[in-house]
Amino acid sequence: MEFIAFVIAMAVAYQALKGYKLSKEKTLLYLNLSFVLIGAGLLIDGLSSLIVLLARLRGGSLYLFGVGYSINFLAQLVAYGLLVYAYVHQARNVTTSTAVLAAVPILFFERNAVTELILIFLLVYIATQTAINYSINKNTNSMLVFGAFASLSVAHVFFLIFTVAPIFFPFAQIAQLFGFLLLLAMLLRVNQPA
Amino acid sequence: MIPGAQGQAVKPTAKYRSQLRIYVDVMYVIQRESNQAKPTRILYGANLSHDRLIKYLEELKTLGVIQETGTDDKVYSLTQKGIEFLNNFRRVESFASAFGFKI
Repeated sequence: MEFIAFVIAMAVAYQALKGYKLSKEKTLLYLNLSFVLIGAGLLIDGLSSLIVLLARLRGGSLYLFGVGYSINFLAQLVAYGLLVYAYVHQARNVTTSTAVLAAVPILFFERNAVTELILIFLLVYIATQTAINYSINKNTNSMLVFGAFASLSVAHVFFLIFTVAPIFFPFAQIAQLFGFLLLLAMLLRVNQPA
Repeated sequence: MIPGAQGQAVKPTAKYRSQLRIYVDVMYVIQRESNQAKPTRILYGANLSHDRLIKYLEELKTLGVIQETGTDDKVYSLTQKGIEFLNNFRRVESFASAFGFKI
């Protein structure tokens, strides 16, 4: 599922890059960087899980899971942080030369409640912004983007519950995949011939 | 590629149109007028003063996205490059708008 999400994230990033090249609008550059990071994080997480599953390691497996999750978490943290920044930047309508990124100590950790709560907080903010946009625009593409970020928020709520109840893991994966599929639907609609 | 407004300071409360936005507005008006627009129609449609209209029409002609036709009365139409640019811009605008970003 991570690999499908990775491909969709990269497709969104590519579309944002095309938009940035055409318009030189910084918010589209932030969008591009966000989805590149999300895609890279998903790919690394997916690969580390795959390696662990294929090798069926016991001693090293937990460490590899931790490495994959840590990188994915940091990538998502920066990516969603950039998106939040893009929305704040647009709202204030000011130009800034650099985005300030938090220096995060390199520590490998397992999926836990704190990391998931941080991502949920960022995603809920983004989902709220896209909901506001949908309430203003009332078009299908805006609805799909809102649906995508709402699904990703729900996915991370499931990931949060998963830390105490492992049965929720598949629900989280499905919600995450559904979110990316909604983004794919939006991309296909945007690129359909006039 | 048409260059956007770069290096322009934007006041927090002002809602100025970027150079790219004005280019696109002019091109939209030409397209709306069945790709045969007189300067007066563009002037009103794109909400520009006469001096700025002349300036932007010249720039668009230099970029090769519009062309001047007609002998007695000036008429402007989109070139193939202009039509392709406008289609690409529409896609980008639709994509950015889906996320709530304005360009």
